[in-house]
Amino acid sequence: MGQRDIVSYETSVRRKSRIRTASTMCRLDVESDVKGPEQHGNALPSSRYMVGRGVKRKLSECEDQMLDLPYPQQRQLVLDLCLDKLQSCQRRAEPSLHRSVLLANTLRQIQREMRQEGGPHHPESPPPAPATPCHSPELPPVPSDRPSTPVAALSSSLLCEDDDAQSTCTELPKGPWSEDVGKLPDLLFGSFEITNSTSYLTDLQLDDIFEDIDTSMYDPSDFSVLACPPPRGSSGASLGNDYNLKAFSTCTTSSSTLQMCLNDLDHIMEILVRS
Amino acid sequence: MAGAGGGGNDVQWCFSQVKGAIDDDVAEADIISTVEFNHSGELLATGDKGGRVVIFQQELESKNQPQCRGEYNVYSTFQSHEPEFDYLKSLEIEEKINKIRWLPQKNAAQFLLSTNDKTIKLWKISERDKRPEGYNLKEEDGRYRDPTTVTTLRVPVFQPMDLMVEASPRRVFSNAHTYHINSISVNSDCETYLSADDLRINLWNLEITDRSFNIVDIKPANMEELTEVITAAEFHPNQCNTFVYSSSKGTIRLCDMRASALCDQHSKLFEEPEDPSNRSFFSEIISSISDVKFSHSGRYMMTRDYLSVKIWDLNMESRPVETYQVHEYLRSKLCSLYENDCIFDKFECCWNGNDSVVMTGSYNNFFRMFDRGYRQDVTLEASRESSKPRSVLKPRKVCTGGKRKKDEISVDSLDFNKKILHTAWHPQDNIIAVATTNNLYIFQDKL
Repeated sequence: MGQRDIVSYETSVRRKSRIRTASTMCRLDVESDVKGPEQHGNALPSSRYMVGRGVKRKLSECEDQMLDLPYPQQRQLVLDLCLDKLQSCQRRAEPSLHRSVLLANTLRQIQREMRQEGGPHHPESPPPAPATPCHSPELPPVPSDRPSTPVAALSSSLLCEDDDAQSTCTELPKGPWSEDVGKLPDLLFGSFEITNSTSYLTDLQLDDIFEDIDTSMYDPSDFSVLACPPPRGSSGASLGNDYNLKAFSTCTTSSSTLQMCLNDLDHIMEILVRS
Repeated sequence: MAGAGGGGNDVQWCFSQVKGAIDDDVAEADIISTVEFNHSGELLATGDKGGRVVIFQQELESKNQPQCRGEYNVYSTFQSHEPEFDYLKSLEIEEKINKIRWLPQKNAAQFLLSTNDKTIKLWKISERDKRPEGYNLKEEDGRYRDPTTVTTLRVPVFQPMDLMVEASPRRVFSNAHTYHINSISVNSDCETYLSADDLRINLWNLEITDRSFNIVDIKPANMEELTEVITAAEFHPNQCNTFVYSSSKGTIRLCDMRASALCDQHSKLFEEPEDPSNRSFFSEIISSISDVKFSHSGRYMMTRDYLSVKIWDLNMESRPVETYQVHEYLRSKLCSLYENDCIFDKFECCWNGNDSVVMTGSYNNFFRMFDRGYRQDVTLEASRESSKPRSVLKPRKVCTGGKRKKDEISVDSLDFNKKILHTAWHPQDNIIAVATTNNLYIFQDKL
């Protein structure tokens, strides 16, 4: 079962060229040959000062200053850092659900505290800020007043980045977009799910998969494939409540068309991956 | 200060070996991500970010030097996991080895489980030191002989050959985790094991790869309500029905698999009430437990959070029986550590063979040992400067304020890029393996 991977006693594994290859001996078999103290001696060179990941040494001074700040400013600093980190979470090479949850909790806690103190600035029960899907240009911009939920805060700050218009905030009519608010936590936390080819259709809503693709150029009938029910015997995803898919729902449900839809999908994926 | 080491009043730790490249330019693939001794301590496995596993074997003690324990030399190296690409999310599934766990040895071969974020593999490591020679129809190099030239018959015999160590994947356990796997733990029944990701724990049979049982699921119906993730899980060393899992909120839940198929209801909940005087914006983050380990006896368990190590008696849920501060001087630096992301570092911890001493890592390539019996602790450093063979490690001290004494290091001089996240202790002897970013240090006590 499985391939035989015969490794002789002394050889090492060579990695692909994109990563620096190990020397002829296994890289962990290189005994250090220390003849004397290293060049830094006892004094620690300045480069070893408190440097995290690309953070300047100045930070350690900043930190002490942080403790001198009045409490609301400390809190604001932490809040800003939190939002920064949550935004950059999505762009990281190694997204971590654990980290995101901790950041979101910190954010929630700060916002709860601010709301308790806030008083007249915050309405009693503000409606959640509806968010717009990134690539639907016909929808109005997100309101820029302070949102009530931390996730909505994230979404509005994320989406406002994409928004060029400086229009004043307007309350969106409750419509199909409000369903998207519920999906935002999924977008934040849902992107950590590792999918695989057999289960992606059960675990994800289909429109999440294709949200990066700018569909404005295409003829809706080309997307009949999206409305096809998940084929591989799974009973998971339901498509009925997805606004985006309703617009494209022209597919017939005969099995031969279904098969053709799948073949189209595979073909599209193949092209995307190869390019 | 002599003798103030872990393991009693008289243990002095000496440098033994260091593995890995010397230069400071670290290739990312060489970053060590896990270290584990096997059950006898003869083998030491490491996994790295490049998906490779390297196993070291301890040489037999030589009769010439009874004062020295055997050295660890490379025994086997293999590529355990390859990077995969999730086309739909445009995300790479890292090949980094998150954990390695050895199975108890049952026959001549050794078995270990290694896992990345998504897939667990069972590897068989076996030795071959003989090969059959003297075939009738084949030459020694494998070419087939012309049958007409065969005039006699002989029986092939096994002849000795140079030792060859083979690693082969025997089982691949995949497609059971939607989130990143953080722990694996082999059950004491040696038939099953658990794997834990951020939100779920699955129970596997070592023989069956296409099915696993979900035993814990903390995923909320509405992901917006998600506030807690699973950070580590482990089976009890003796009771095959018991396991624990820790969370990002600083709680540990002990579950009994006999109670129900889905262990969402814990049998015990271990949580220490927060000290209100220490409350800050980062209280929750630093309470997140990064590692949980049962003692060998099974009576205690140890948890590691950002600033401390706690020992819990399984019979008492309300608070730990012992708490050791690893680097309390960082408490006033939490904001900077938050900004540079160090506050999210996940340190591991380990017990010594007789559960009298615990060890964990810190920054600046420091690691700490806490002797539970003698109530002593020591800070040591894994560095090239103290790498002369059999040189005794000098205890280090961090100056927290005021005048810095000679040989002390001030908090602001600590190098936060040099972190020791992974350490391991030999199951019987005082031999420890400490992983810096890309080097593996082996220390032993002075005999």
